[in-house]
Amino acid sequence: MSGGPLIVQSDKTLLLEVDHPDAQACRMAIAPFAELERSPEHVHTYRLTPLGLWNSRAAGHDAESVVDSLIKFSRYPVPHALLVDVAETMDRYGRLQLLNDPVHGLVLRGLDKIVLIEVAKSKKLAGMLGTRIDDETIMVHGSERGRLKQALLKLGWPAEDLAGYVDGEAHQIDLREDGWTLRSYQQEAVDGFWAGGSGVVVLPCGAGKTLVGAAAMATAKATTLILVTNTVAGRQWKRELLARTTLTEEEIGEYSGERKEIRPVTIATYQVLTSRRGGAFTHLDLFGARDWGLVVYDEVHLLPAPIFRFTADLQARRRLGLTATLVREDGREGDVFSLIGPKRYDAPWKDIEAQGWIAPAECVEVRVTLTDAERMSYAVTEAEERYRVAATARTKLPVVRALVDKHPQEQVLVIGGFLDQLHELGEFLDAPIVQGSTTNKERERLFDAFRDGSLRTLVLSKVGNFSIDLPEAAVAIQVSGTFGSRQEEAQRLGRVLRPKGDGRQAHFYTVVSRDTIDTEYAAHRQRFLAEQGYAYKIVDADDVLGPPIPQID
Amino acid sequence: MATTFADQLRSLPDEALGALIQLRPDLVVPVPADISALAVRAQSRNSVARCLDGLDEFALTILDAARLSRAADTALTSVDAILELAGTAPAEDVRVAIDRLRVRFLLHGPPEALQVVGAVDEVTSPYPAGLGRPADYLDARAAALCADRAKLRRTVLAAPPGARAVLDRLAAGPPVGALNRPALGPESMAEPIRWLVEQHVLVPISEAGRAPRPDGELVELPREVGMLLRRETGPLGVLRPLPPVPGAPSRDPRSADSAGAGQTMEAVRATEAILETLAAEPAPVLRTGGLGVRDLKRLAKVAGTDEAGTALLVETAYAAGLLGETDAGPNQELFLPTGAYDLWRATGIAHRWGALARAWLAMTRQPGLVGRRDERDRPINALAPDAERAGAPQARREALNALAELDTGAAPATDDLLALLSWQAPRRARGREAAHRDAYAGAALLGITGLGALTSYARLLLNDSGPDETDPLGVHPEDAHADAVRALDQLLPAPVDHMLVQADLTVIVPGPPEPDLATELDVLTEQESASVFRVTPASVRRALDIGYQATDLHELFRRRSRTPVPQTLTYLIDDAARRHGGLRSGSAGSYLRSDDEALLAEVLADKRVGTLDLRRIAPTVLVSPRPVTRLLGALREAGYAPVAEDAGGTTVLSRPKVRRAPSRSPRIAEASTPVLTGPRLAGVVEQLRRGDIATRAARRAPVTVRAAHGQAIPGLTAVQQHTQAMAVLQQAVRDKARVWVGYVDSHGATLSRLVRPVSLSAGYLRAEDERGESLHTFALHRITAAVTEE
Repeated sequence: MSGGPLIVQSDKTLLLEVDHPDAQACRMAIAPFAELERSPEHVHTYRLTPLGLWNSRAAGHDAESVVDSLIKFSRYPVPHALLVDVAETMDRYGRLQLLNDPVHGLVLRGLDKIVLIEVAKSKKLAGMLGTRIDDETIMVHGSERGRLKQALLKLGWPAEDLAGYVDGEAHQIDLREDGWTLRSYQQEAVDGFWAGGSGVVVLPCGAGKTLVGAAAMATAKATTLILVTNTVAGRQWKRELLARTTLTEEEIGEYSGERKEIRPVTIATYQVLTSRRGGAFTHLDLFGARDWGLVVYDEVHLLPAPIFRFTADLQARRRLGLTATLVREDGREGDVFSLIGPKRYDAPWKDIEAQGWIAPAECVEVRVTLTDAERMSYAVTEAEERYRVAATARTKLPVVRALVDKHPQEQVLVIGGFLDQLHELGEFLDAPIVQGSTTNKERERLFDAFRDGSLRTLVLSKVGNFSIDLPEAAVAIQVSGTFGSRQEEAQRLGRVLRPKGDGRQAHFYTVVSRDTIDTEYAAHRQRFLAEQGYAYKIVDADDVLGPPIPQID
Repeated sequence: MATTFADQLRSLPDEALGALIQLRPDLVVPVPADISALAVRAQSRNSVARCLDGLDEFALTILDAARLSRAADTALTSVDAILELAGTAPAEDVRVAIDRLRVRFLLHGPPEALQVVGAVDEVTSPYPAGLGRPADYLDARAAALCADRAKLRRTVLAAPPGARAVLDRLAAGPPVGALNRPALGPESMAEPIRWLVEQHVLVPISEAGRAPRPDGELVELPREVGMLLRRETGPLGVLRPLPPVPGAPSRDPRSADSAGAGQTMEAVRATEAILETLAAEPAPVLRTGGLGVRDLKRLAKVAGTDEAGTALLVETAYAAGLLGETDAGPNQELFLPTGAYDLWRATGIAHRWGALARAWLAMTRQPGLVGRRDERDRPINALAPDAERAGAPQARREALNALAELDTGAAPATDDLLALLSWQAPRRARGREAAHRDAYAGAALLGITGLGALTSYARLLLNDSGPDETDPLGVHPEDAHADAVRALDQLLPAPVDHMLVQADLTVIVPGPPEPDLATELDVLTEQESASVFRVTPASVRRALDIGYQATDLHELFRRRSRTPVPQTLTYLIDDAARRHGGLRSGSAGSYLRSDDEALLAEVLADKRVGTLDLRRIAPTVLVSPRPVTRLLGALREAGYAPVAEDAGGTTVLSRPKVRRAPSRSPRIAEASTPVLTGPRLAGVVEQLRRGDIATRAARRAPVTVRAAHGQAIPGLTAVQQHTQAMAVLQQAVRDKARVWVGYVDSHGATLSRLVRPVSLSAGYLRAEDERGESLHTFALHRITAAVTEE
C-alpha cells in the first residue's frame, strides 16, 4: 500500500484526493490519459476511456508508463484485470495505418495481418476499401479517408493517419512579436500539432488558444479557414490576428450571417455553415471556395454535428482543433478523434495553476418560500405550466431587489426566461429590458451604457445566453431558465462572469421557489456547478431580505 | 524365475514396504489381509494404471524401454539393457528412473533379471515409446527386409519425398496410420503409401473380426524400421530426463502480491454485486438446471466482468454456499443468496475472499465449460449439471502446484505451464488441458495469481493440504486457510471509517468501508461506484423512513466526514426532514365524514357509540377501526342517519423484507487421498506383517485346524468338533504341550495359531503364543478346533 492520492476503481474511474500532498504530481501523471469528469472540492473524478488512452498513445505515451503511473499513485492494489485492459486497449491504436502509397495512392496497412483481415470483413467498412494489394495492404478510396477512420474507430481499431496533407494555397503569415512572445507551452502546442499533422490542442480557458491558432497559421503559411462558435468570438479572433500577426484588415474575411467575405484568412461561424435553406446546406461552397491549407476549429467540444460531416471530406487538409475540454455533452468525442485528429497537446496543469485561475464566482441559490396563495395556485396547475408558475412567482421580486441592493457598487444583470416576469422585474427594479424584440440599435445603446457604468442594472431575456460581452458585470441574478439546462447555466455563468481585472469576486445568484419543480431543476444545475468545482451555497430568502421581514405586496 | 512377486514383497525390509505403500496408497485401502493379497492388488490393472498416472514423462519412457528390451523368450530385461536403449540420456538419470519404477514395483526382480508387471502392458499403449511391433510378428516379408540391415537402409534412403514424410511421421509415433479410405487393394492407396507397402516398409494390418473402420485400413511401421529412422535421437525418441523449464518472466513478488490483492478485492466486489443483484431480482432455475444465459448476461453487466468471469464467480458463490435455490411456487425455483451470504458479507474482505478461494479450490465444477456446447450441441449453462467435473479439484491442485514449484514470482505463459504439467504426469494431463487452463483463468480472476505469478497468500492456502509431518491425521485446512487470510489481510487496505462529503452531494469512502459504515451508507446513499456514493432526496427519505431523525443524520455526517459537511447537504437533509411526514396515512375500518363539524363533534361525544372507537383525523372526518356495517348499525341505533359511501382504497407502508434462500452448508470435498505418514504407516506395515505371519503359520497348521476354517471336518458336527477341541485343550494345559488352535476372530476371519495353553476357565482359554512373548486370551466359543502339535 503506497498511501497515494489515487483510488483506482474497477469501473475505470480514478478518484483523486485533491488535498493529498502528492495530488499535484499525480494529476500531472494521469492527465495525459485520463479525462477529468468531475471536479468537486475534495475528490476529483477522472475516467479512463479508450479514446483517452488512444489520445495519449498518439501523443507518444505507452501502456507501460500509464500502468506505472496508476500503480505508483494508487492508494490500494490496482485490480490486475484493469491493468491488462489498459495495456490491451492502448495496443489497439496504430495497428492499422493510413498511408500514401506512391503507386496505389491511399492505402490501409495493417501492422498485424489478422487485424486487417478482421476489419476488412466488417460490414461497416463495405464500400470504403478497394482491392487488396498484398497481405498487409488494402487500397482505400481517397474520398473515404474520413469515414473510414470513423468506422475503424467504431470497430475499436483506430487507424493512425500518416497519409499526409496537401499544402494548400500559400499565403505569407508571420507572427509580429513586438513586446510579447509565445509562451513556451503555446510553442510546444504548435510544434506538437505540426508534427502530428492534424489534431486537437487542449488548453484551459484564458491560456491563449487564439495565439496557438495564430502561431499554427504562421507555421503553415497558407490560406486558413477558421470556424468559430459565434460572431462575437469571430471578431475577437480578428482583433487578435490583426494585433499579433502580419495579417491586415484586407486579408481577413468574416463569413457570418451579416457578411459573406471570402479572403485568404476567413473566419466563419458554425451557425452560418449549418444554416439550411429548403433542407440543403447553403454555405458548403465555402469549404471549396479556396484551396485552404489549414482549417482551425475553435471550441471543438461545441462543434455541431453537420460540421463533422463536412470535415470527413476535408481529411487531406491540416486541421487544428482548439478546446478547453474534450468532453462533449453529446458523446461524440470519437468523431473529434477520428475526423479532426487525436489530442496533440495538453497543457500541463502546473501552467494552468500559474495562470492563477480561481473559481471566478460564488454561486448562491436563494430559496424563497411561496405564499399560501401561490402554493395553492402552483398545486392546481397543469404539469406543463408548473415550472412557469413556480419560476415566475411574484415572491421573487423583493428578493431580487434585495440582492441588487446588496451589491451597490457592482454592475448587475438580471436574467430570466419568461418575458412577463422580466417586465415585472423591469418595473420593480426600474431597469431597462433587453429582449429578442429589442432593436439592435437600442441594444447597443443599453450595452454601451452598461459598459460605461451609467446603467447599473440590466434585465436580460434569453438573448443573454449568447453573444454578449459585458465584462463589467460582476453580479448575475437568474430568476428563471430553460428548465434544467446545464448548458444554459454554463453559458450564463461563463459568458457573463469573466474574471475581473482586480480579482474581485463575482456573484451568481439563482432565485428559486422552495418545494416546487423549480428547486428540482435548480438541484440539477447545482450538481453540474459543483462537479465543475464551483463553490455554491443555499440561503433562505429571509436571510437575504434580512429582519424585519418586509411585507410582500 | 527366481522368486514370486509376493515373495519379493515379503522379503522387503519394513522401510521399503512402507515406501511402496506411501507411493501407492491405494494398495492399503482397505488394508489387505496379507502380503499375498497386497501382491495381487499391486499387480492389478487399476492400481497399476493409477500408479502410472502419477509418473512423469521420463519414467514412463524408461518403462517403455524396459518393455521394449524384454527378451523374447524369458520376458526379462535388465538395467543394462534399459541403459543401452536409453543411451541418449545420462545414465545416472536413467538409473534413478529405473529405481523409481522398482520402488513402485512396476519393475521387479534383481537388476539383471527385471520383470515388468503384467498389467502395464494392458493399461498402456500397445506401442511402447511409439514404436511398432517387431517385423517378424507383423509380416514375414517385412521381417526378411528388416533382417537385411543394409537393404533396409537402402530402401529407406530410396524412399521418394512423399513416402519419406509418411515414414517420419510414423517414426515419431504412433506407428500406426489410417489410410482414410476403405481398402480396395494396393491400387487405391495414395502413391507414397503404396510404394512403402510394396517395399514392405509399411505393413497393412487387418485384424480378424474387427469391424471395418470408417477411416479406412491401417498400416503399421515395424519396430526395426522405426528404430532405424530414429537413429538421430535414439530408439526411444527425444528423451527429457528433466522437466521443461518454462521461460518465465519473473515478477517482483511484491508487485505480484499487490496485483493479486487488487484482484481479490475486485473478485469479492463483483461477487457481492452479483449476489445483491440476485437478491433484488432473483433468477429462475432452468428446467434443465442452472442459470439462464440472459440472467448470466445481466449479472455480468452489473458485476462489470465478462461472462466467463461471471460464470466462475456464480459457480464459486454457489460452491461456497452463498447462493442457493428456493421454491417459488409450483415447478419453479429461484436462485437467491442464502442466509450464509449475510454472514459472509459481514466479514472482512480477506475472509470473504478466503471463503471463495477455498470453495473454488474444492468445487467439482469446471466453470470454463459454461457457454460452450455439450455433445448434443446445447449450450452449457452456469450452475447446470453439465459443468460438473469430478476431477476439477485435482486438476486445479495440479495446475497450481506446478506454479508453486517454480521460483517465487515466476509468471510463465499458460502454454508453458501446460507443457510442464504434461511432462509431470502425461497420462493424467491428457484430456485435462481444458481443466488446467480453466484453473489458471480462475486463479487469475480470484487473485490467487497476480500478474501471472502465484501470490504469497495463495501459496499459504495451497500449502495447507500438503503432508503435515507433525500431525499423523493429516490435514488442518482451517489453520492454513486462516494463515492465508491473515497474509492477504496484511496486503489489503485497512477498512475505512470515514468519508469525504462534497458539495455535489457525493460521498467518497476512500477505501473499503467498515461494516458499520457500510450499513449506514446502504441506508443513506445510492452507490454510484465502488467508492462513490450519492446522497439524494430519495436516499435521505429512506433513512427517515426507517427511523433516523434529521439531527441523527447531521450528526452522522459530521462524525463520519473528514471534510466539512457542505451546506447543501445540510439543506437537503433539513428539506427532506421538513417534508417528511407532511402527508400521513394509516388504515381504518371505516370513516365517517360530514360537512357539519358540530354534528361530528356530537357523534364523537356520544357515549352510545363509544364502542366504535371513533377518532377525529380532520375537522370533518372521523375514522373507526370497525367495519362499515358495524359503524352504520351502531349509528343508526343511536338515532343518526348515516349513508354509506363507496369505499376508497387504503395503502399500508412497510419495509420490504429481504428474501433469502435457506442456508446450505458448502460442499467442500477432500481433494485427494490423504498421504500416510509416520506412526500410521508403521501401523499398516505391521498389520500386514502380522497378517502374513498368521497366514504363513496357518499354512503350517494341521489339516484339521485348517479345514475347520469355513466348514466342519467330514464326519463331525461343529458341536462334536468343539467338544473334541475342548478335550484336546484340557489335555494340553495339563501337559504344557503346544497346540494348534483354530478360531474365529472379531472380524469373522478364521485364523490358526500355535500356542501353549496355560489355563482354561470362565469361558476363556489363556495361552502363551509360540514365541512365549505374550499371553493371549481366546473366547472358547470362538475356538473351532484344536490339535496338538506333532
